[in-house]
Amino acid sequence: MSPRLETEHLYKVFGRRTDDSVERLRQGADREELRADGTTAAVIDASVRVEAGEIFVVMGLSGSGKSTLLRTLNGLLEPTAGRVRFDGQDLGELTDRELRELRSKKISMVFQHFALFPHRSVRDNAAYGLAVQGVPRAERDRRAGEALALCGLAGWEDSWPDELSGGMQQRVGLARALATDADLLLMDESFSALDPLIRRDMQDQLLELQKTLKKTIVFITHDLNEAMRLGDRIAVMRDGRIVQTGTAEDILLRPADDYVASFTQDVDRSRVLTAAAVMDTDVQGDEADCGCATAAPGTPFTELCALSARLPHPVAVLDANDGVVGVVPRQRLVGFLAEEAGEPLECDGGRKVTARA
Amino acid sequence: MPRLHLGDWVDSGVDWLVAHMSWLFDAVRAVVEGMYDAIDGVLTAPAPLLLAGILAVLAWWLRGVGAGVLAFAGFALVDSLALWDRAMSTLALVLVATVIALAVSVPLGVWAARSRAVSAAVRPVLDLLQTMPSMVLLIPAILFFGLGTAAGVIATLIFALAPGVRMTELGIRQVDAELVEAAEAFGTTPRDTLLRVQLPLALPTIMAGVNQVIMLGLSMVVIAGMVGTGGLGGAVNEAIGQLDIGFGFEAGVGIVVLAIYLDRMTSALGTQLSPLGRRAAAKVRPTPWTYRPRPAVAVIGVVVLALVAGGTGIFGPSSGTTQASATDVGKGKEIKIGYIPWDEGIASTFLWKEILEERGYKVTTTQYAAGPLYTGLATGQLDFETDSWLPTTHAEYWKKYGKQLDDLGKWYGPTSLELTVPSYVKDVNSLADLKDHAGEFGGKIVGIEPSAGMMGLLKSKVLKEYGLDGSYQVVDGSTPAMLAELKRAYARKQPILVTLWSPHWAYSDYDLKKLKDPEGAWGSGDGVHTLSRKGFADDNPQVGKWLRDFSMTEKQLTGLEAAIQKAGQGREQDAVRTWLQGRPGLVDQWAPVHK
Repeated sequence: MSPRLETEHLYKVFGRRTDDSVERLRQGADREELRADGTTAAVIDASVRVEAGEIFVVMGLSGSGKSTLLRTLNGLLEPTAGRVRFDGQDLGELTDRELRELRSKKISMVFQHFALFPHRSVRDNAAYGLAVQGVPRAERDRRAGEALALCGLAGWEDSWPDELSGGMQQRVGLARALATDADLLLMDESFSALDPLIRRDMQDQLLELQKTLKKTIVFITHDLNEAMRLGDRIAVMRDGRIVQTGTAEDILLRPADDYVASFTQDVDRSRVLTAAAVMDTDVQGDEADCGCATAAPGTPFTELCALSARLPHPVAVLDANDGVVGVVPRQRLVGFLAEEAGEPLECDGGRKVTARA
Repeated sequence: MPRLHLGDWVDSGVDWLVAHMSWLFDAVRAVVEGMYDAIDGVLTAPAPLLLAGILAVLAWWLRGVGAGVLAFAGFALVDSLALWDRAMSTLALVLVATVIALAVSVPLGVWAARSRAVSAAVRPVLDLLQTMPSMVLLIPAILFFGLGTAAGVIATLIFALAPGVRMTELGIRQVDAELVEAAEAFGTTPRDTLLRVQLPLALPTIMAGVNQVIMLGLSMVVIAGMVGTGGLGGAVNEAIGQLDIGFGFEAGVGIVVLAIYLDRMTSALGTQLSPLGRRAAAKVRPTPWTYRPRPAVAVIGVVVLALVAGGTGIFGPSSGTTQASATDVGKGKEIKIGYIPWDEGIASTFLWKEILEERGYKVTTTQYAAGPLYTGLATGQLDFETDSWLPTTHAEYWKKYGKQLDDLGKWYGPTSLELTVPSYVKDVNSLADLKDHAGEFGGKIVGIEPSAGMMGLLKSKVLKEYGLDGSYQVVDGSTPAMLAELKRAYARKQPILVTLWSPHWAYSDYDLKKLKDPEGAWGSGDGVHTLSRKGFADDNPQVGKWLRDFSMTEKQLTGLEAAIQKAGQGREQDAVRTWLQGRPGLVDQWAPVHK
């Protein structure tokens, strides 16, 4: 089965003689060489597959090409080379009219700085996509009202965007994207402009909504913590190229290169890792026979620590069929927190090991 | 450097356009004049105070009680200055120019905002239109569109176009790019993006542009007045031409009232039209002074006043009593006289207006600057004018347009050109005396328009003849400026040397001394001629004969001029009528009718 959304060897180059530039990039030229000629390679050879119902996060620093990549996904930007397929349909083959139709009904977008229309009320902002589709006013208002309620803004319909706080404005932005019942949500650093507390709220709310709505979401961010929290899968971009695609654990535990590894240093591992990632799979099968509390492969790291603190022996990890799939010794938990993967050393002559501060 | 014959190319370009594109210009002219007539008709239909009331209700609605009261007071002032019809004609002119300017500039601004190439191409054109001295464009405008409203509107329009285009482009470019992207991301068509997002958000800036268009249009009405658009601009020109400071000020005040009203109304309209502006306005706590009625109330007010206005228009006194008489030679045939606001021109023009109207013609008189007057006559848009000084002073015009004109002969003469000093300058009596007194006059001869024939004569011949070339400098300026300078010096009893001519009212107002010309350098003097368009006398043999036979004595002319001067601005024809009534038989002498 083909993925919901897919890009194949996508290039986006700005400037003159873009075709030549793509050819040179294919032959291994890098961004800097092109920049000297006055062309900017924003996206280089990007291939991603986004499955239906997942949150796919594209993570990278500013200038890494992630926003450009996002804008090729709904045809706001036309790729210089390569393809974008949505539900198997190549966007490059659509006429302008068909592309607009697609954008108005199936793909919606949430912006970094909210991009609410200041001359429209909250209700009219939320109903904007429906107005573009030509939905009659009564239905449009009803559906906009529902979307606003879903985003926790019931009762604010008649307010104006400039009367709302940043977080509330972005809820309106989210409601506007949800009101059209689009299957694909493109979110461009949507929470980056918000205060840290509000940002967490919004992330929680998005995850909560996603449990029931099951949209396909492509989420752009420069914040790895946010990427790890939200993303079912994460693509890390650097200088226009995708350097690694994988789950949060893949990125954290098996970084593709030093760049990705350096990125993950600041990540709060305890929030990301689960029992499956830290357990020792070398088991006999009788570890759970003692009747003590056990964990599941999806048990979060912090919960695992709590279990481990109460047990005198390693925590057993059971799968859905109550089969033992791994054990987590306390030593291992501490090691993961400190990124210390080695086996414990022998104690040398009874002298205590003192940590060097 | 080789001489680039740019001027010749422009000349031939203009000639070609006049010859080949006249259908286009005629069409434009018809549209512009149609719009002007319609708006002017609406504005002048109701009684002045009723219309002032309607305008005041609009101000009340858009800005509040205070603005309404002030608007009414302002327009009442205009009416009490007896400038109402002129003000309405100016208002109509500015409105037509504004509507057309917006119809052109807003789409152009939108286009420029969307395309860098268009923006780059449009900008230098706008610079040219905005900075090219308006008189330079005015004469071609007359050739293309003829004298009167159309040329005035086009000249105003050209000047006022630029801010409309610039502010529209700026306004649209200023709209947050993320908002435009958001609109596109939701599948909005480019057209709807423009109409639903860009234009509404650019509206405050665009309205600032509209405001500038109107204000620049108003500042152009004086220039437009030179090509016979009449209105307050014409009034200002007349006042300047006759050094009538008071009347000039009154007309200026009329323009200011219009300007302030239009400025405040358009900026308030900008607030009302823009959704954001409306919200901001709604937040301000109303005071009694800024209380504004609901739109319905305002509409009712305007409609009621308009109905009253319409009612008085229908039931009011109907004018236009026709009386058939034996002397009705003209039978309502229309004759257009143009004049330059010089005293003998005004006197003879209104004299003939009165005489011809008594003979049953329908006569319109319009004042122009000399250039437009000759252009209008040569292109057949005017029938005749009575104030050409030939063969010397207006030689240049005769040379250029003589072939397209008929000379109906001299009616007054000889005139004379001279250098003049006040009588209190004792020891200078002749041009020959000047050489030794250069210091007394600061080496300056206060001249008039450099284009005037006598200025050429002075510089090329008179100065040489008396060896004044090195010691005197001729100051170019304008007739009003020269007269003002004379008045100032005269009041302070300072020596001054000016160019002047006879007949001129200055000789009766001030005690002046014409400097003798023993060498005859000024020539033998001109006659004041009546010139008509080619074939006028054939089309109107009777009038042609009257004009050919017409002549005035110096006593008659100065007497009539004095009578007109005394009656004051706007009452010229009344003065002529009174003057004629005191001299029975003159009309029959000048315009005999064979029974």
